[in-house]
Amino acid sequence: MKYNILFGGQAGQGPNILTSMLAEALIERGFYVFYSRDYQSLIRGGHNFNVLTFSDKPVMSNESSYDLIVALDKNTELLHGKKLKENGKILKGDYSNMYFAGSIFKIFNFEFKILEKKLKKLEKKFEENVKDARKGYGDEELKINLPEIKENDKKFYNGNQGIANGAVNSGLEVYYAYPMTPATPILDQLAMVEKIKTIELENEIAVINAGIGSSIVGAKTMIGTSGGGFDLMTEALSLTGIAEIPLVIYLSQRPGPATGVATYTGQGDLNLARHSGHGEFSRIVVAPGDAKESSEAANQCFYFSQKFKIPAILLGDKHIAESFYCSEGEPILIKSAKSTSLRRFNSYETDAQGCATEDAEQIRKNVLARLEKRKIIIEESKKFERIKIYGNKSSQNILLFWGSTKGAVLDSINGLDVCALQVIWIEPFAEEVENLIKGKNIILIENNSTAQLAGLVKEKTGITIEDKNKILRFDGRPFLSDELKEEIGRRIK
Amino acid sequence: MTTPNLSTTIKPTWCPGCYNFQIFAAFKNHIEKEIKRGKRKDDFAMVTGIGCHAKIYDYVNLNGINSLHGRGLPTALGMKVGNPKLNIFGFAGDGDAYCEGIEHLIHAARYNVDMTFIVHNNQVFALTVGQPTAVTEIGFADKTTPRGVANPPLNPIELMISLRASFVARVFADVKQIEDVLKEASKHRGFKFIEIIQPCIIFHPDVNYKKHTYFLKDKKHNPKNLDSAIKRAREFDYNKLAPKTRIPLGVFYVEKKATFEEKIK
Repeated sequence: MKYNILFGGQAGQGPNILTSMLAEALIERGFYVFYSRDYQSLIRGGHNFNVLTFSDKPVMSNESSYDLIVALDKNTELLHGKKLKENGKILKGDYSNMYFAGSIFKIFNFEFKILEKKLKKLEKKFEENVKDARKGYGDEELKINLPEIKENDKKFYNGNQGIANGAVNSGLEVYYAYPMTPATPILDQLAMVEKIKTIELENEIAVINAGIGSSIVGAKTMIGTSGGGFDLMTEALSLTGIAEIPLVIYLSQRPGPATGVATYTGQGDLNLARHSGHGEFSRIVVAPGDAKESSEAANQCFYFSQKFKIPAILLGDKHIAESFYCSEGEPILIKSAKSTSLRRFNSYETDAQGCATEDAEQIRKNVLARLEKRKIIIEESKKFERIKIYGNKSSQNILLFWGSTKGAVLDSINGLDVCALQVIWIEPFAEEVENLIKGKNIILIENNSTAQLAGLVKEKTGITIEDKNKILRFDGRPFLSDELKEEIGRRIK
Repeated sequence: MTTPNLSTTIKPTWCPGCYNFQIFAAFKNHIEKEIKRGKRKDDFAMVTGIGCHAKIYDYVNLNGINSLHGRGLPTALGMKVGNPKLNIFGFAGDGDAYCEGIEHLIHAARYNVDMTFIVHNNQVFALTVGQPTAVTEIGFADKTTPRGVANPPLNPIELMISLRASFVARVFADVKQIEDVLKEASKHRGFKFIEIIQPCIIFHPDVNYKKHTYFLKDKKHNPKNLDSAIKRAREFDYNKLAPKTRIPLGVFYVEKKATFEEKIK
């Protein structure tokens, strides 16, 4: 069983509260829930919607047609009505969002007191909300019987919360940022943690340089931004390279170039994360595929940046950052010992005293030392799960993907003869990929227009992925599992 | 007690006679005296930008960072956040402080990080061989600007006072003047902005500044008086000196307020 529900309305009408209340209630009953958010770059009005998908089996993506549409305004029906399933229903009318909360809790056969408890937790307008909800609950006639699910233990959080959690549990002390969607919510998350200093500065250039300042005196430091802000940071990124300064940088992608599409999703910055910053220096780039992996990626970034005194880029995107995933089990987090205390740092090549040097022999020595470090970083990275493999491991068909496409890919492969290969570590790249894909029918899935992972694979393995086998989406929207399944099906041998 | 060695083995590469030697000597004297008074060498940190001024980092053996052009201030802020006990001296040229990193200077006055910020103002990009900066006088000509500078210079002292930076001073690049102002500044908690008029003997030579300067303390200037501080700041607009131009030196403005470190949780 799987249900796909859309909650739509104007910004400010409260589709988010509705979605999260239902999600919570379903999870309490044992279901697996995933929801994504589609919102415009405005504060009031416009059209926002969330799509919630739930099932008795793990689910981490949405589908293209809906069993239920909760229309908080007329626009919702106009825009999404044609995607309603044949036996689906639109809940509409001139009611408050809590009226619809009542309706939907009734449809799925929740006792009213469960909803009442959730309304109490909102801590505002309780009387009014309960009244509206009770009316919606009473008026609703549709009933959908859901199966009984065995009790299970899972947590429900989005990618940003995952990152914040991973960072806090890696000993984060200071977080700097300049607000930029979709990285901003991390600031909110961390601001609630007592022992962590969260600081907003005048621009991203100040953010990364302050990050460097805190890091060189020994504080575990992270900064966060999206593509445009990251561009501004890259001169200082290069400084972390030469001066051997640990720094964790969260790069949360949205479609570019330039301002692009500010509140939508994309994977156009893989090459940016790999190549940004002038000169030659080591870095790691880790791209998690869901909320739990986001915690692990943040933790690995702290571990590597401290151990090797390098910048570590956590490459996420809007879809993973703001979508809510059910995570089973705890993320695997390791201890990262602090490596840095104040000495003489320099943006120039330096001699043993930390003074600028132009001496050819010294420069050569420094460059070689940095190259040598790169080898050790690669060796150490092999101890981590840089790739993950799903599906039929001996299949002729290989699905190659990275980052937030994981949800739609894993939800689409059921019943297909495919092996799905997720590249989590972009840098250093897992060399075993070559043997896993060589001679296979490789199908690539990416949320960008130039197939940047295919470029990386070609560079590292020499293997070319045929253009007809590249499934690329670049309209700012995430893949939907049913549509993706069809696309994959057409390319399977 | 033995004085720790504040020297490196690097031989200064400033031009012979460069006024940077005055700043270097004064700063070293100041730190040595502080250490004699009981401070430890590791209590201090230096942050520099890029340009002739930044060479001081190579000649003084203190911890810190020779940072990027224009970015010394946010770097220092980060260091102070990470270790509020550090006594940080930031150094910048006029290119750093008033061109590439002017936004950081404006916000530094708002934030009020407890640190000393010293601007070596020679009114020219010296290390890149003589281009005009944001504080070069109208009419200054070089190879890149053969018809002469057309835009008026900034008045950094007026700017900093108008932002109510908590300590605003200007001195000439003279060992005694610098030592005196550093001593004065060391008694103040907050963002201490000190501009040093430091002629570049090659690209922006001394035009007999000392004939035009006077000391604010001799005129009984009250640095707590904002209006009077602004008025004094406007006496010199960084343009070409006219016979009657007066350049006030000393502490223009002082205001006690909470520091950045105190304000963050």
